[in-house]
Amino acid sequence: MTTRVSNPVITVQNLRKTFGSVEAVKDVSFNVEPGQVLGLLGPNGAGKTTTINMISTLLHIDAGEASVGGFDVRTQPEAVRQLIGLAGQSAAVDEKLTARENLELFGRLYKIPRVERRRRIDELIEQFDLGEFAERPASTYSGGERRRLDVVAALVAEPPAVFLDEPTTGLDPRSRSELWNTVRSLAANGVAIVLSTQYLEEADRLADEILVIDQGSVVAQGTPDALKRDLERDVLEVHVTSRADLDVARELLGFDESIITDIEARRIDIPIPDGADRSLDLLRQLQEGGVSISNFQLRQPTLDDVFLALTGATVTESEELTT
Amino acid sequence: MTTKDTPTNTRTVVTDPNVALRIRRASQDTGTVLWRDMIRTARQPEMLVFAVVMGVFFLLLFNYVFGGAIAAGAGFDYLQYLLPGVLVITALQGAQQTSMGLAADFTEGVNDRFRSLPMSQSAVIAGRTIADALRNIAGLVLVALVGILMGFRFASFGGAVVAIALATGIGYGFSWLGAVIAAKVRQPDMVGMLSMFWLFPLMLASTAFAPVETMPGWLQPFVTYQPISVASDAVRGLVNGVPVGDRITWTLAWIVGLLVVSAPMSVRLYRKVG
Repeated sequence: MTTRVSNPVITVQNLRKTFGSVEAVKDVSFNVEPGQVLGLLGPNGAGKTTTINMISTLLHIDAGEASVGGFDVRTQPEAVRQLIGLAGQSAAVDEKLTARENLELFGRLYKIPRVERRRRIDELIEQFDLGEFAERPASTYSGGERRRLDVVAALVAEPPAVFLDEPTTGLDPRSRSELWNTVRSLAANGVAIVLSTQYLEEADRLADEILVIDQGSVVAQGTPDALKRDLERDVLEVHVTSRADLDVARELLGFDESIITDIEARRIDIPIPDGADRSLDLLRQLQEGGVSISNFQLRQPTLDDVFLALTGATVTESEELTT
Repeated sequence: MTTKDTPTNTRTVVTDPNVALRIRRASQDTGTVLWRDMIRTARQPEMLVFAVVMGVFFLLLFNYVFGGAIAAGAGFDYLQYLLPGVLVITALQGAQQTSMGLAADFTEGVNDRFRSLPMSQSAVIAGRTIADALRNIAGLVLVALVGILMGFRFASFGGAVVAIALATGIGYGFSWLGAVIAAKVRQPDMVGMLSMFWLFPLMLASTAFAPVETMPGWLQPFVTYQPISVASDAVRGLVNGVPVGDRITWTLAWIVGLLVVSAPMSVRLYRKVG
């Protein structure tokens, strides 16, 4: 189907975008190879959609360069459009049309010959389990069904580059994990994927490389493991018995911004830069101060910790993710 | 045209289409968008019903409520005067639906998908205007049938056909003006309001409902040459089988004028990226 080569499919160099006085994207660079998933991770308004829209020819590029399959996005947008598929926040389907009609519409616009188009649409409907609602108008779909069709619509022409802009925002856990499988199988077929997300777990699970974006700037870039390693510190997780214990513990520890308190879970996450000895000291200190500790653990940092350390804020929507 | 194999894929990418290929692809895309909009029209029969109901409403209101006053002593059958004007106004209301529909595409996000596709961007508007013109023809025929039930008499079948074609034509010209508004404003509510701004004054200060002689002198030059009047006069002459003078020429001039100005402007505004 596709020929795998080592050349990057998507290259982005020093991308910049300003809306009025707001610098939406300040300096974003990355490459995506065939079969690779690049995660754009950041809170709402970080510049993820703006970045994707610039590369997918929807927005004018103020400065910097972007190319897809060797074609310059600014000077050859028509060639680029033949190589990309876009889904998520940035592109929708026609609500009045059924799934099959939507796929037929986009297939025709991609100029796929009739016979091949029909075969491809049947294949997609089968593969992505759209059969049960393929003949109903999209306005009747659930959020998960709609999003699935959105993504499938981007795949009609089997593009070598796919942009998924927050494809799982607002999805239930089951639909989310189905979408994750879709992303994995696309990557396995050699498609280069740019995926934006607010969810750390999503980026952690799917992305080969992550760009952490905050207020238009790349604050960190690397593989999920490298990002965690860069933090060079472990986290001591202390679970306490009551709300009162939580307050006492915070008093004892002093109000350090890097310490996260989860009131619901009665848990305190304390960054430990220098290993086990310091943890024992802290635990002893808490116990002597009268805090009733129900459980504790010294763990590797999660992307959540990385994000906090980098941006000084937790992700806006820290929804619990389960599969 | 040159083709080039991308390094990442064996597919052929068209990099430099010549004019002939561009035109062929644009017509192909227009046909595709037309197909899509026809499905939408069929799934939203209320759009057609609305246009027809408005036309019938104008027919009933003006014929039975105002008709007596307007035609009093004038010595002519008011329905024979009124129906042609109502046909033109029905066609213009169809044009309003063009801008509403295009604006809805912006808010629903379908336009962003279209803009990411290797398609002719003008086809999105062209397909829509043609779909709306076809719906308009259906609406005009239905309004004409109601007119016949009320006692209207067409002088000739040929005249009726040409009249409906002309009404559809002026509606088509205004569809592109509607596309300009939609591409500029991009919000259905706002578009609906703006359309009222041009449609109402144009509709009321026209010869659609009353002869120009009944209006104040200072208003007459405007009324005589504005598009709704010239189209109403032309249609009126055709369906009644009386000479139309320069009215068909003026109507065609308005259609061409609207297209020449609005078509490039709407496509440019539509393509405009932030």
